[in-house]
Amino acid sequence: MNPRLKKSINDLAGNPGRTLLVVFALIVGLWGVGSMLVSYFILKNDLNENFSRTSPFHVALSSKDFARLDLASFRQRPEIESAEFRDLSFQRIEVFPDQWLPMWLFGLDDFKKFNLAHIYPEEGADTPPRGAMLLERNGKLVSNLKTGAIARVRVAGKLRHIPIAGINFDPAQAPATQDAFIYAYADKKTYTEITGEAANQRLIFRLKNADNKQQVQSAANKIIEDMRSHGIRIDNINIPTPNQHPHQFQLNTLLAFQGSIGLLAFLMGAVLVSQLIAAILAQQSRQIGVLKAIGGTQAQILSLYLFMVLILGALASVIAIPLAVFSGFGFAGFVAKVLNFNILTQTLPISIYLGLIVCGLLLPVLFALPTLLKGTRISVLSALSDYGINQAVSSSSNKASARLHLPYGIQLALKNVMRRKKRLATTVATITLGVAIFSSGFNVRQSLLVFLDDTKNAMKYDVQLVLKDQLSSEKILAPFHDLANVQRIETWNGGRGRLQSSAVSSNNGIGVVALPYNTDLVTMDVVQGRWLQPSKDIEIVMNQRAAEGFGEPVKTGKQYQLNFNGKQVLATLVGIVKEFDVAKIYIDKAQYDKISNPDHLVNSLMFIAKDRSYQQIVKLKQQIEKAISQSKLNIFYVMSQAERAKIIYDHLNIILTLFTLLSSLVLLISTLGMAAATGTNILERSREIGVMRAIGATPKIIYGLFVTEGAIVSIAGIVAGLVLSLPLSIYASKFFGELILGHGIPLQFAFSQHGFAITLAITLVFGWLASRIPARKAISISNKEALSYE
Amino acid sequence: MIKLSGITKVFAGSNGNFTALNNVELQLGKGEFVAIVGKSGSGKSTLLNILTGIDHPDTGTAIINGTSLHTLDESSLAKWRGANIGIVFQFFQLIPTLSILENILLAMSFVNVIPKPKRLLRAQSLLAQLGIEQHADKLPAALSGGEQQRAAIARALANDPPLLVADEPTGNLDSKNANAIHALFQQLAKDGKTVIVVTHEDVSSSGYEQVITLLDGAIANDERTVA
Repeated sequence: MNPRLKKSINDLAGNPGRTLLVVFALIVGLWGVGSMLVSYFILKNDLNENFSRTSPFHVALSSKDFARLDLASFRQRPEIESAEFRDLSFQRIEVFPDQWLPMWLFGLDDFKKFNLAHIYPEEGADTPPRGAMLLERNGKLVSNLKTGAIARVRVAGKLRHIPIAGINFDPAQAPATQDAFIYAYADKKTYTEITGEAANQRLIFRLKNADNKQQVQSAANKIIEDMRSHGIRIDNINIPTPNQHPHQFQLNTLLAFQGSIGLLAFLMGAVLVSQLIAAILAQQSRQIGVLKAIGGTQAQILSLYLFMVLILGALASVIAIPLAVFSGFGFAGFVAKVLNFNILTQTLPISIYLGLIVCGLLLPVLFALPTLLKGTRISVLSALSDYGINQAVSSSSNKASARLHLPYGIQLALKNVMRRKKRLATTVATITLGVAIFSSGFNVRQSLLVFLDDTKNAMKYDVQLVLKDQLSSEKILAPFHDLANVQRIETWNGGRGRLQSSAVSSNNGIGVVALPYNTDLVTMDVVQGRWLQPSKDIEIVMNQRAAEGFGEPVKTGKQYQLNFNGKQVLATLVGIVKEFDVAKIYIDKAQYDKISNPDHLVNSLMFIAKDRSYQQIVKLKQQIEKAISQSKLNIFYVMSQAERAKIIYDHLNIILTLFTLLSSLVLLISTLGMAAATGTNILERSREIGVMRAIGATPKIIYGLFVTEGAIVSIAGIVAGLVLSLPLSIYASKFFGELILGHGIPLQFAFSQHGFAITLAITLVFGWLASRIPARKAISISNKEALSYE
Repeated sequence: MIKLSGITKVFAGSNGNFTALNNVELQLGKGEFVAIVGKSGSGKSTLLNILTGIDHPDTGTAIINGTSLHTLDESSLAKWRGANIGIVFQFFQLIPTLSILENILLAMSFVNVIPKPKRLLRAQSLLAQLGIEQHADKLPAALSGGEQQRAAIARALANDPPLLVADEPTGNLDSKNANAIHALFQQLAKDGKTVIVVTHEDVSSSGYEQVITLLDGAIANDERTVA
């Protein structure tokens, strides 16, 4: 074998501890970057692919007049790609004994042939027999429902028993686990039998060449106008964001986070490789001099070390690439399960493997190159006279450490860490970055938890009951008069309204909540303007989702045209509130009644309990359910605040988990960087260690010195990291707030005390380990070895 | 073979400048066996570094084997050095992770003057010439000091350089091994190589043809001891 290659291999084999450390560091870095790359590729493609393969509808129109529509002719319209009647009715289903969730029941013509909004059979019957229904698979995770079970469904106050004939998969729906809905599917006749509603009242269609919401709205407007001219009155219009899964925002947040952490892991891996190579070069400085003295040129010596880095990269790649592919698929699978979609990517394209190989082989070389160039540029003279670190301590730092009146051991350690200022700066910067990201992860997590708390606290009722119909207060309250543990019940109203913007002439139905302006049950976080007040004018408050979905920038103080139940009014937007919910408008109930509810009907009850403990609220909800079962009320949903909070938490939990996992990875890489730097210091000072021992320093003293040096570097990095984490957390809160909430609304910065304690504890332990392991190595060097340091 | 003219080297230190070599003039011919002696700080090592191109003079020129060293950049200098000078260090400086044989082959692979197919045979023959052929596959650490120094000499001869420079080559050896090394150098000089040994030891009985004594950076004495 070529002696140069042999030298590279033997150098690595001759120091297995160091080689393992480098390989381990490279594995961690490559695995981190690789998993990000693999899962990023899969997720970016697959959620969208799952969704788009269903041929999702662009527009859903509801009307009781569709009997006048000739569907075959409608399908012939030039802008229509496909269309069908897909009825939808909101009922309630018992998911566990005495626990009910809203059920979206879809009525379909044909379960075998789909032109749009595909659903896929997974278990049991493909087509439900008459009288039975299919259940969307994600519903199994929030219920005890399964194929063959008889579901208890409450329709218009009546209990119905409906067999579940099978399980299907509907990738276009928001996951049941997160939104607490159960999706069910029946044929049209069964649909009508169950709901009592006529079939063919909801038309869904997909347009040709419609890429954005504006195009869809524009085409929809034309179609709606045509329908109106044919006497078809449209009750509701739903235009979801085209070609986007309802939970795309979660994935976007994850991908953005993955991308930024992957980049940071990548950069820290670069620093780490550079430090470890510096450690190798520090040990072999004299050898480089000898190699040059016997005729080796810089390029030849450089190639020798580059080959060494290539071997290290190859070793790391062999382990890290399969690991990255495995964990990348694993993580993508986890996200897919949470968001209820299938991983469609079976094999990764060759470009991903090539990317991983390039990352594994070439990036370490690239990262090591500056260090190698510097290290091999050393003159023969400097290399041969190198007895390790020889930088003197500057007199200013000497005086400064003396002025501090610190114990001699600490003074010496302080002086030592100042000897390699560049390396000290790199090491402290690496730890700073690791600590800052780790700590920011906790802070952003805390911001999300604070937001969750704020969201919970914004609505101060304990249980909310929403009816499908509007009734008089007396009628709606009657079944609940005798409930124990009820302090009071507030009645609200609401429904769907339509906001008119100049950008579009029709808009999606928007949730309208009509509540007393002075209710003490709502304390929303107002991000612009103010909350509702008594006023002569009609005032509204929007949440940020409504503001964002308006189609043009909204301004508080400006008047907007609203359509409530067919009544057009001009309303002044007085405020925008922050809320993790669908688009909503809040209006004073008295004003709402004046506009479109002259009989003062209500459809929502807000229960406030006397004893507001969790157990008592659960009991109260059970009592309410019992009262409902004995009434004829047609319920849309009943939900406790605890359940609502859980739904929001479940939406955010996946992001919170990822924050913690990835931040830990960055911290681990930065710790390895510190271990590498300490190891380099020790190697460079082998001769010094020998001299110290020769003049009487015990292994304990030397060990203590190196651990103290490590502690000083760790503490400097930790303090700087915690300081840096503050602006970083603020920025990250802003960034993720924008992704999660939209409309440029930041998450409020929150300092995580637990996170601070955990960061401090983990980084101190990591820092201690990172200096302890090399320090033990320092005391294990024999005097002879140390003094003859090559 | 060697022509040093007006070589001056000054080192800047915290206590002012230190003149390591002061206007040194030296000429040596082919096949000479020369000792450079002097006390610590006399400039021996600096002179050796300038001879080998490891260091550059502040003023003056060094022409070795017809090449003006100041005309070469670092890479060319390394190549030139590999082909023209064999260096023997006090602490041997063998590559610890390579066998003795591989140490010699490594030097050959850098310089490329010995054709590839002939390298192994030449390396083995050098080891045999120095009496350590039985240690060819051993790592340096497995050899005694004397054996390691022989291996270092074999490496220095790997590319068949006309000039051999040794820095305190016996400083780390017992007298028996030291004598054997001296005898070896003498033989190499007889075979036509110019051998320069820097030492602070007594050189009266080592068979040097010329002994140059340095004192405070200048040649204090240049004595031919053997005709």
